[in-house]
Amino acid sequence: MVNFEKRGFTLWFTGLPCSGKTTVAVVVEKELRDRGLNVESLDGDEVRQHLSKDLGFSKKDRDTHIRRMGFIAKLLSRNDVATLGAFVSPYREVRDYLRSEIENFVEVYVKCSVETCIERDVKGMYKKALAGEIKNFTGISDPYEEPLNPEIVVETDKETVAESVEKVLKELENLKYIPSSSESVTYTTEDEEKIKKRLKSLGYL
Amino acid sequence: MIRKFFKRRKSHKVLVIGWDCAAPELVFDEFLDDMPNIKRLMADGMYGKLESTIPAITCPAWMSMMTSKNPGKLGFYGFRNRPDYSYDGMMIANSTLVKEKTAWDILSAAGKKSILIGVPQTYPPKNVNGCMITSFLTPSTESQYTYPPELKSEVERVADGYMLDVEHFRTEDKGELLEEIYNMTEKRHKVAKHLMETKEWDFFMMVEMGPDRIHHGMWKFFDKAHRKYQPSKYENAIRDYYKYLDKIAGDLISTAGSNTTVMVVSDHGAKRMDGGICINEWLIKEGYLTLEEYPDELTPFRELKVDWNNTIAWGEGGYYARVLLNVKGREPKGVISPDDYEKVRDELRLKLEVLGDENGKPIGTRVFKPEDIYPVRNGIPPDLLVYFGDLYWRSVGSVGTRCVHTFENDTGPDDANHAQHGIFIMRKPDCKKTGEIADTHIMDCAPTILNLLGVPVPDDMEGKIIGS
Repeated sequence: MVNFEKRGFTLWFTGLPCSGKTTVAVVVEKELRDRGLNVESLDGDEVRQHLSKDLGFSKKDRDTHIRRMGFIAKLLSRNDVATLGAFVSPYREVRDYLRSEIENFVEVYVKCSVETCIERDVKGMYKKALAGEIKNFTGISDPYEEPLNPEIVVETDKETVAESVEKVLKELENLKYIPSSSESVTYTTEDEEKIKKRLKSLGYL
Repeated sequence: MIRKFFKRRKSHKVLVIGWDCAAPELVFDEFLDDMPNIKRLMADGMYGKLESTIPAITCPAWMSMMTSKNPGKLGFYGFRNRPDYSYDGMMIANSTLVKEKTAWDILSAAGKKSILIGVPQTYPPKNVNGCMITSFLTPSTESQYTYPPELKSEVERVADGYMLDVEHFRTEDKGELLEEIYNMTEKRHKVAKHLMETKEWDFFMMVEMGPDRIHHGMWKFFDKAHRKYQPSKYENAIRDYYKYLDKIAGDLISTAGSNTTVMVVSDHGAKRMDGGICINEWLIKEGYLTLEEYPDELTPFRELKVDWNNTIAWGEGGYYARVLLNVKGREPKGVISPDDYEKVRDELRLKLEVLGDENGKPIGTRVFKPEDIYPVRNGIPPDLLVYFGDLYWRSVGSVGTRCVHTFENDTGPDDANHAQHGIFIMRKPDCKKTGEIADTHIMDCAPTILNLLGVPVPDDMEGKIIGS
């Protein structure tokens, strides 16, 4: 990495349940670590267990939970940590609140049709929601308010994970929050040739 | 009292000593009495054969070990992989292509410090909470092969010039080869000991390539069943080298301290090489591969003029073979209709399985379809993977001898091939005597390491925790 000054930021993935927020965030997280950033990931289930055990899924409770997450993200970001949050966070108002509170806030809208999310239904929650067993389930019995001006939109029902990740990384590079891949990785055609020659000599090829 | 209260608890550490290609038959049996440190580890802990990946080869095996992901998930089917369906595109599987989290990525995120030396597929070096020296898959010591970059000068000072690998592997001068192997191992050991003593660490892993190099270079001098066996002054070269490895392992183990779990592992085993099957000569003979012009001398496949419009399949050389099919709508000049793909693949599989030695005697070749061995197949897998003679034979990609069987390798002298099982030895600080264990897979190592260090094992790791 050359001449890159680390700056904290918060990358906030929002979208319907099963839209692919965590899937994309996990790969982005690794890429950021590989590029030398200090990274912290606020995992939905884990932080709920530790910090919001007292909260349910009413609009009020959800907002409170997201505000708590936002507060942690703010503390981390201002200490130069690249902070990733992957939360349904369905309400526009609270996301706008986060944006106003966190200096380097990057909203990633993980867009995916509700039909595809229902097909994925990783934890069987949609099935229960459709059967009326879960109340206030986003996308079924509770609204999801799409972001109006997100910095990044990934469409997981139309793109591969790699394409979505690439979109996120490109925008972070444009925003100068992360070093470009050419700055952080040095692997040339010449390198490739030297290694190929050695592998051939060693009998691997 | 307050002081005592705040005293840092001496935390548990994990030391992994990797010996590329170390064979269970040698370590657990034939050389064991000459390896007192390993013998003690085995007696005070557990040991067993470690099942490798298919293919049983450095890349993807070490990365599979450290990510607990199968080669299909990693998208690594060998050192080089197809980036697309062109005929000549092949990409080295370097660290930038490792998209899965390694054990040290997870440990770094949990605040644990790692020291890594020589782990394959770590070049170009990436960020780690600790430090890293990349492996033999680094262009040269001119490259930036450490993290952090400033570590490089320290490494070179301590080792008096670092060696990533032996430089003259394909030599008939076995004395020179031995000297290089010892020199490389000694330098790596000096650096390992220095880093272990001077840097903070929770996880320490080093991979020594010497065992692999000495097996390939000198197996015929020690194995009386080898076709080219000849009594010589090098009869005990491999045994002596293992004795040396044991001695320096003992030094590292005592330096690491008693609160350390020690693992000694290898990525695959070794066996004698009976010969080579010239995969492309065979494909030509069987009418699957057509050349515009047959070469006058032994020529690497990439330099041949292939008549792609009349070619059904071609193969790659190496310790195992990869067979690729020329499919219509997939390869630029594909000829196999997608409807016939399975039929052609099955036909090839069957013919390869029954292909015998030079006298037609069965050799037990195993042929794998990627979808049968990998639940997920990222990147572009070969259409078939072939273990000729269950790895007693290698694959030769070059063309020019008009012979299917060869006893001279196209890339220079080589006496050994890889075997499917490597070694696993583990002794925890409590020295609980467990003895021999079974059903241990290379993907079990990463979850075991994380568990020992008290870090949660991600759900998507495919291996199990050994000794839990």
